Amino acid sequence: MESIEGEPGDFKVTLTSYPRYIDPIKCTGCGECAKRCPVTAINMYNLGLDDRKATYIEYPQAVPLAFAIDIDTCIGCGLCEMMCLAKAINYEDNEKKSTICVGAVILSPGSEGFDPSGMDVLGYGKFANVVTSEEFERILSASGPYRGHLMRTLDREAPKKIAWIQCVGSRDVNLCGNGYCSSVCCMYAVKEAMIAKEHSHDDLDCAIFNMDIRSFGKDYEKYYNRAKDEHGVRFIKSRVHTINEDSTTGDLVIRYTDESGQTNEETFSMVVLSVGLQIPESVTALARRLDIELNNYNFAVTDPFAPVNSSRPGIFVSGVFQGPKDIPGSVTEASAAACAAGTKLAEARGTDTKTIEIPAEIDVLETETRIGVFVCNCGINIAGVVDVPAVADYAATLPYVVFVDQNLFTCSQDTQDKMKEVIKENNLNRVVVASCTPRTHEPLFQETLQACGLNKYLFEMANIRDQDSWVHANDPEAATEKAKDLVRMAVARAGLLKPLKEKKISINRRALVIGGGVAGMNAALGLADQGFDVVIVEKEAQLGGLSRDLTVTIEGADIQRYLLELVDRVTGHEKIQVLTESLIVGFSGFKGNFTTEIMVGPGMYERKIDHGVVILATGANEYKPEEYLYGQDYRVVTQIELGKRLEVKGADDISKVVMIQCVGSRNEKNQNCSRVCCQSAVKNALHIKEFNPDAEIYILYRDMRMYGLLEDYYTEARQQGIIFSRFSQDNPPNVEATDEGIAVTFKDHILQRDISITADLLALSAGMVAEDTEELASILKLPRNEEGYFIEAHVKLRPVDLANEGVFLCGTAHSPKLISEAISQALAAASRATIFLSQSEITLSAVTARVDPDLCAACLVCVRACPYEVPRINEEGVSEIDVALCHGCGICAAECPAKAIELDWYEDDQVMSKVEALLEGVL
Amino acid sequence: MIVAEKKPVEEIIDYVKDFKKLLIAGCNECVTVCEAGGKKEVGILASALRMYFLNEGKKVEIDEVTLERQCDHEYLEEIRDRIDKYDAVLSLACGVGVQFMAEKYFSTPVFPGVNTCFLGAAEERGVWSERCQACGQCILGETAGICPISRCAKRLLNGPCGGSTKGKCEINKDLDCAWQLIIDRLKELNRLDDYEKIMPIKDWSTERAGGPRKVVREDVRL
Repeated sequence: MESIEGEPGDFKVTLTSYPRYIDPIKCTGCGECAKRCPVTAINMYNLGLDDRKATYIEYPQAVPLAFAIDIDTCIGCGLCEMMCLAKAINYEDNEKKSTICVGAVILSPGSEGFDPSGMDVLGYGKFANVVTSEEFERILSASGPYRGHLMRTLDREAPKKIAWIQCVGSRDVNLCGNGYCSSVCCMYAVKEAMIAKEHSHDDLDCAIFNMDIRSFGKDYEKYYNRAKDEHGVRFIKSRVHTINEDSTTGDLVIRYTDESGQTNEETFSMVVLSVGLQIPESVTALARRLDIELNNYNFAVTDPFAPVNSSRPGIFVSGVFQGPKDIPGSVTEASAAACAAGTKLAEARGTDTKTIEIPAEIDVLETETRIGVFVCNCGINIAGVVDVPAVADYAATLPYVVFVDQNLFTCSQDTQDKMKEVIKENNLNRVVVASCTPRTHEPLFQETLQACGLNKYLFEMANIRDQDSWVHANDPEAATEKAKDLVRMAVARAGLLKPLKEKKISINRRALVIGGGVAGMNAALGLADQGFDVVIVEKEAQLGGLSRDLTVTIEGADIQRYLLELVDRVTGHEKIQVLTESLIVGFSGFKGNFTTEIMVGPGMYERKIDHGVVILATGANEYKPEEYLYGQDYRVVTQIELGKRLEVKGADDISKVVMIQCVGSRNEKNQNCSRVCCQSAVKNALHIKEFNPDAEIYILYRDMRMYGLLEDYYTEARQQGIIFSRFSQDNPPNVEATDEGIAVTFKDHILQRDISITADLLALSAGMVAEDTEELASILKLPRNEEGYFIEAHVKLRPVDLANEGVFLCGTAHSPKLISEAISQALAAASRATIFLSQSEITLSAVTARVDPDLCAACLVCVRACPYEVPRINEEGVSEIDVALCHGCGICAAECPAKAIELDWYEDDQVMSKVEALLEGVL
Repeated sequence: MIVAEKKPVEEIIDYVKDFKKLLIAGCNECVTVCEAGGKKEVGILASALRMYFLNEGKKVEIDEVTLERQCDHEYLEEIRDRIDKYDAVLSLACGVGVQFMAEKYFSTPVFPGVNTCFLGAAEERGVWSERCQACGQCILGETAGICPISRCAKRLLNGPCGGSTKGKCEINKDLDCAWQLIIDRLKELNRLDDYEKIMPIKDWSTERAGGPRKVVREDVRL
């Protein structure tokens, strides 16, 4: 991206496209060019640990999955051009400039791993068996340099002991200037240790040297505990100062000082440096060109209450460029940025959409079955192993087959056009393509059928590539026979296929937001600003939720002022209706068409609301401690109470304060970390210091989890003389009330002796507890984890969706989080909901289960077996499956003891026909 | 419901190994619900037998049918027209169905494919337990809805016995003592006084002790 000119709503973006030298549209990804390329180049995707050719695909999941030529290493021999059957090679390709007009821009340029080459003491680059965590990640990968075999780089020997060194390039102003925490390295180190143990054939010893373990994400603490307690990963609290190599074995000797001050030496076969995330120079240059303000670490500057808005209006940011974060955070923020951008562009929605005209469907049930078989060569992917002409000849002998053809690339545009003609000319009414996996091309071929007036379910594929030529490359004859078997099976099923009707359902374009806190209100605004009607249901008399008890963010932003403005915007918005003192008592329907019954206060009259989506924002509360004299002595308060007190009374009257972390978190009752309490403590401690610089403050902690940019405040706190002392879970501080104050006794980890402080005030960093949603969850049939937080559809890839379609999740109903994170997640949920609401109707898959009521014995097996709770026994006393709710998984059809359930497109005889065709002649 | 369990396939093979034409007949009532003899189990058993005969090099024809109920004439009549085609029938119905089938088709051998176990309930999918022994003289009204005849190992009418420990029966530590359950529920219902009442000797003539039983309802007879 060269430049962005213009105003929000009307940007002109100048782009430069680098030449690929292989046309990605023509390239089929067959790989023949790379196979013949004589050049050996360093594979930077595997971080230089192996080689690749000059023609290459960067990595197996690359999009587009097309080859390119690395022109720096290409010797111009011309072999690839000669080999390429798709004629995709273009040596004349050159750099192209283009401009596009857009209304908003989202920057997600990402980060790079810190390069530890400059850190002499760690030996990276000097000792072969010291690798970065990125390199180790590739070593563990099945597509990596060692094919997933755990080997060290020096001698390809299996390591016996591996050490991870945390915070390399993070939390380090001394050697590299990166004062922030990279947020992700603790978890990836634990993960790498667990996977390494899995990959190792011996009893691998893993040790992670760390200052704090920052497993602050949802359920991360449980993973850390498993690693520690069940898998024996060792966690050593130490910043390692020197690594030396044993030159005869290549082993590495780590010298470190433990918490008691003793210097130890331990030998490892391999050392992994957990490198931090860093903004690359190219991204800072881009930000300069675009006039985007960066902070001192080159992350984009954002406001705590507008976490995805860059300093330049109309340009939004997401991912690590916004600040260090993990995958769920990045995915969430990406959706949030899409929502923020979409808000301004709502008017333009759908204006560039093209609709494909589909001809009327031909009735095939009354006509004779005419099957066409298209066998694909896939360049030489299939043809290099399988005798494709022989397979095609064989296919022609099969019953009902009236047409057979073979293609170089069946998926190419010209073949599709040819296929259309052939289908029409030969009156084909069933089509079989023998090529690759249905996962990639089935929809493409189905579109071709539809263009010819054929129902898309009259199609079948035989995977003679992934499941045949690729795996039997060494036995072409057997592979050819297997291809014939696969084609015979596909033809057998094709003959039994029936056209299926896809049901279309309309969508109610209104959203119901449950919970009127900061997350709920932001989600509501995210939708309402895009023109959708929203109803907020809040059980309290006022909007605001937990935020009503909060004062300022750690950055110093005024939460109450923000909340006032937010409530004003919500209540004044013509598209938003707020129901306070309201309770959800009933829920029915399916995606796009829900009905919720609500008792609306204060009169408690019943209302029914029809809506298309649900956003859950039920929130969480501060834990009410039962520990450390809370509730028994007025001098013991929680962090939220302390925050309010400082706002009201200041801190002139307090000179000694002790804070205890992890109260109500990371224990047996609540295994998880509450994420926010470390920063609450530091925030309040700094605030006290502001009022009263002479105040003595002690923070007793287990791990300080000041992730991301919060680390700066931790540094600041230590500089201001706030004393941090670590305690272990099995030796917590002892608290006694005395006339002079609250006496707190704890064992200091550096002095290794008991310290006693008599404090004016004891602040407990109480964790977070999910709002009680047991009844709501049972009414809406929503899954929750042990701690009462709702469970998302996929932890990493679908962090704000629930498995129940049309239901989304945000804020602390998902897990504890900061206000800015809750806002991001709220926008993300709104964004995901928008995708749903912006359609006027949705097409349901025709692959759903169907009950034959005559056969049904009402045995309840389907009702019990369905993971989505769809089947029910109806008034007629038989099972009924709502196609709008059915996911088409087929479990009920397989389990039904009366064989009363069939899954359309996978009917028993359709499935069995394949088995019978396979075994034909064998039995 | 009547709860049945599949017989081991070896036992079934032993019954039918010498026949050439077999009909496997499922039942769409209790045995379907307890997943022992419905249409799906018929199909699975048929496949297993076909594989067995194929392995043995025998040519045996196996047909499958699942009747709505095998304890009613009308449903059993549905196979009248083809019953003579078969050398034997393998019925996956409960003992009632197998016998009714055998009575109806007198000259065709009928073999059971399941073991009929008891009258019970599905505690959860895959777990069934006994609740009734069809004693013909229900006393559940006196025993807080918990049956000591089917659930007490000794069928005690005035329990518990000395073998009740911590609410469990001495014959099996996982088995609840029925009388403990009765007392607990009487307590819950505020009816502990009823426990004090001595139950008289039960008239066992309505149970198996009185010989095979019959119910005749003149009011509904045609």
